[in-house]
Amino acid sequence: MRQADVTVIGAGPGGYVCAIRAAQLGLATIIVESDKLGGECVNYGCIPSKSLITVSRLYDKVREGEKFGLTASKVNVDFTQLQKWKSEVIDKLVAGVEFLLKGSNATILMGEAEIVGRGKVRVTTLDGVEEIETKNVVIATGTKSVQLSGLEFDGRVVIGSKEALELTDAPMKLLVVGGGAIGLEFASMYQKLGSEVTVVEIMDQLMPGSDPEVVRVVQRKLEAKGGKVHLKSKVLSVTKTDHGATVAVETPEGGFLLDVDKVLVSVGRKPRTEKMNLEAIGVLTNSAGFINTNEKMQTNVPGFYAVGDVRGPPLLAHKASKEGVVAAECMAGMKSAADWKVIPETVFCDPEVASVGLTEAKAVQAGYNVKKSRFQFAALGRALSTGEPEGFVKIVSKAEDGLVLGVQIVGPDASNLISEVALAIEMGATVEDIALTIHPHPTLPEAIMEAAETASGRPIHQLKT
Amino acid sequence: MVYEFKLPDLGEGVAEGEVLKWMVKEGDSIKEDQPLVEVMTDKVNVQIPAPRTGTISRILAKEGDMAKVGQIIVVIDDGSAPPASPPTPLPAPQQALSLPPQSPPVQPGPDILATPATRRLARELGVEIGTVRGSGTLGRITDDDVRGAASPQPKVAAQAPAMQSQEPRAPAQEQRVPTQGAKEEVVALRGMRRTIAEHMAKSKQIVAQVTHVDEADLTDLVQLREAFKGSAAKRGVRLTFLPFIIKALVPALKEFPYVNSSMDEASGNIILKKYYNIGVATDTPQGLVVPVIRDVDTKDIFDLAGEIEKVAVRAREGQLTLEEVKGSTFTVTNVGAIGGLFATPIVNYPEVAILGLHKIAKRPIVRGGRVEVRDMTYLSLSFDHRVFDGSYAARFATRVIEMLQDTKKLLAEVV
Repeated sequence: MRQADVTVIGAGPGGYVCAIRAAQLGLATIIVESDKLGGECVNYGCIPSKSLITVSRLYDKVREGEKFGLTASKVNVDFTQLQKWKSEVIDKLVAGVEFLLKGSNATILMGEAEIVGRGKVRVTTLDGVEEIETKNVVIATGTKSVQLSGLEFDGRVVIGSKEALELTDAPMKLLVVGGGAIGLEFASMYQKLGSEVTVVEIMDQLMPGSDPEVVRVVQRKLEAKGGKVHLKSKVLSVTKTDHGATVAVETPEGGFLLDVDKVLVSVGRKPRTEKMNLEAIGVLTNSAGFINTNEKMQTNVPGFYAVGDVRGPPLLAHKASKEGVVAAECMAGMKSAADWKVIPETVFCDPEVASVGLTEAKAVQAGYNVKKSRFQFAALGRALSTGEPEGFVKIVSKAEDGLVLGVQIVGPDASNLISEVALAIEMGATVEDIALTIHPHPTLPEAIMEAAETASGRPIHQLKT
Repeated sequence: MVYEFKLPDLGEGVAEGEVLKWMVKEGDSIKEDQPLVEVMTDKVNVQIPAPRTGTISRILAKEGDMAKVGQIIVVIDDGSAPPASPPTPLPAPQQALSLPPQSPPVQPGPDILATPATRRLARELGVEIGTVRGSGTLGRITDDDVRGAASPQPKVAAQAPAMQSQEPRAPAQEQRVPTQGAKEEVVALRGMRRTIAEHMAKSKQIVAQVTHVDEADLTDLVQLREAFKGSAAKRGVRLTFLPFIIKALVPALKEFPYVNSSMDEASGNIILKKYYNIGVATDTPQGLVVPVIRDVDTKDIFDLAGEIEKVAVRAREGQLTLEEVKGSTFTVTNVGAIGGLFATPIVNYPEVAILGLHKIAKRPIVRGGRVEVRDMTYLSLSFDHRVFDGSYAARFATRVIEMLQDTKKLLAEVV
């Protein structure tokens, strides 16, 4: 029987960060992981996908290099080497997580955890069963891909995001079911690696909920490179063939059959809580099964916390990590709480999309007197000299005082640009504050300053409207 | 079931109290109404009885901690539910204990202009950030705004609950910790000392204090008191000068209403009080307390003398209830008992003036061109210059002195 102050179940970005912080704060901490340290993010999500995406972009750029005067006689993607390199990146990060956990005196238990009662966790490891008596349990078990009936994963033709990162070649023809963040990242990536890509989305726009102006840029690029996008459409059936499948798609314009090699289904995620015995313990969830908590990450049952994706959307590693910190600090008796104003989101499609705070539509809906201002990357020196002039920065601010409510960026390096505006919103900055802050030239963040200058009515590099 | 006991409303204007002493420890069983904890509020100690019978599961507010009204200070298990961890079977869901919070986390809106660090400070000080009025541009909330909101603010009216008050223990004594070098001694600021320290510092921070000093010839008053001593004794009271001085104050306070007022900084209003409750600063072994004599305009000197004597005894014995130290509109303090010519007392905030009384001594005084020996005293009036000016203060003091010197007029007031 092991004793602990805190038992964290799941070593993803929510769980491992929670365990490190809890251990740092002097709590006797055990973290249980059934698969690999680092969780979905490090092993099957953020990190491997970004590794592959980076290479796909490089490959694409070199192939299109002639206009920059860059010619290469033969550029091939060696998938075996690519996968090997990707695995090395993962291994490094997994080792890093292990190093940090151990260095903070958290105990790592590799095995399947099961909550068997208040303060009782049973872990089935390779060596047998371990019982833990623990003051607190943090459920950080994350989510798994939703399967559609008729589109069940078979590991060969119909695949999920996890398998899509393990392919040994780019499929000739790829159907992506679901035009959300994950679907579009894969669509952009495999398109660059040579696949003919079709995206089927049931809603009336890609990345539902995002600013339509932003999404339009992504869709245009996908289509310009030969991709097909079907909105308000769905897959009716998948008939497996020797090399892949024949898919029946229903669109508002009518139905059609499509021969593809792979069908990537990314239509959402559901909480992974089977072994948590939530019902028996009395932990409340919402109708989708995600665990309800308060701002301290406490569930309704004393001693039970939940952090990360298992609490529900937005499903984001950086959010999970912050929640892990909050839970750990609360368990240590500190007055911690999730009180951030905004959570930035990034999508590594082409061009990249990043957003923080309110979109124009949501700000209007919330009753703000909204001012929007945009700056096109096409007018920015650094974007042109990078060869990536698509997209823009859009700032949504309060008309009365210029308070920044939200920023959407579509364009080069949007994922790296968004943090500046996230800080601006947390600090309560106005468009004036951003406009009056010198941004170095020539850099991409200048686009944010330019959009802010436009918002404050004093644009230099675009004409006043 | 586990019962979370919150620090109850302890009465008018009390936002928090210091936990002085727990009568129980974790694991103890306790009966309803048995003494549970002693809490020190504005200058009085309150003993809070146990709200129900059960076992003390957890004490959340430690001795020396400041607890806010409404804050959970102890968790009592009344034994009506099964123990928290049954052997192996899972507890049935319906027995699941609900923690209070079940609303999803609320993120601060974009209109709350406070940096993440300021929001954390608010959380740590227990301040609801949405209720803080920001002093910066666009209503930006600064750390100072949060700290300001965290200090207790006087509430208006509220019934003091019936609570037994308890003899306060000498502050600090048990808390002494010798430092390594033994050349210094660390004495924790606790109990009444802490309350006094906070109260005095607050007054000095807020009030624009000025002290006006004058002298009064109390020769006639000394005789008047002698004359009344007999009838006072018949009524069983010891007659000091204080009842006369209080009675002399009443017409002056009525004539100069701003002296009997308070300032509401939040609303930017001055509140003129049409009632006359005089605080009497009283030295006790534990420190200074200010019991209040209510509606002095309606009482005669014998009533006042009796009341003053009674509260003084209760003060020294630490028996004062909250009700007895609240609601004064003007304070008098006798600072001359030990020695000194005169002192400059600190205004008993949120009041705006305090009258310092000093020893009455025979001194040579020039009267009608001749030097006479008279019973003289100094009077010092400290006042809040924000509310009225020096000329107003001087006129008020002159009026009080007139009353004290003119025993015929005073006589009309005292009985």
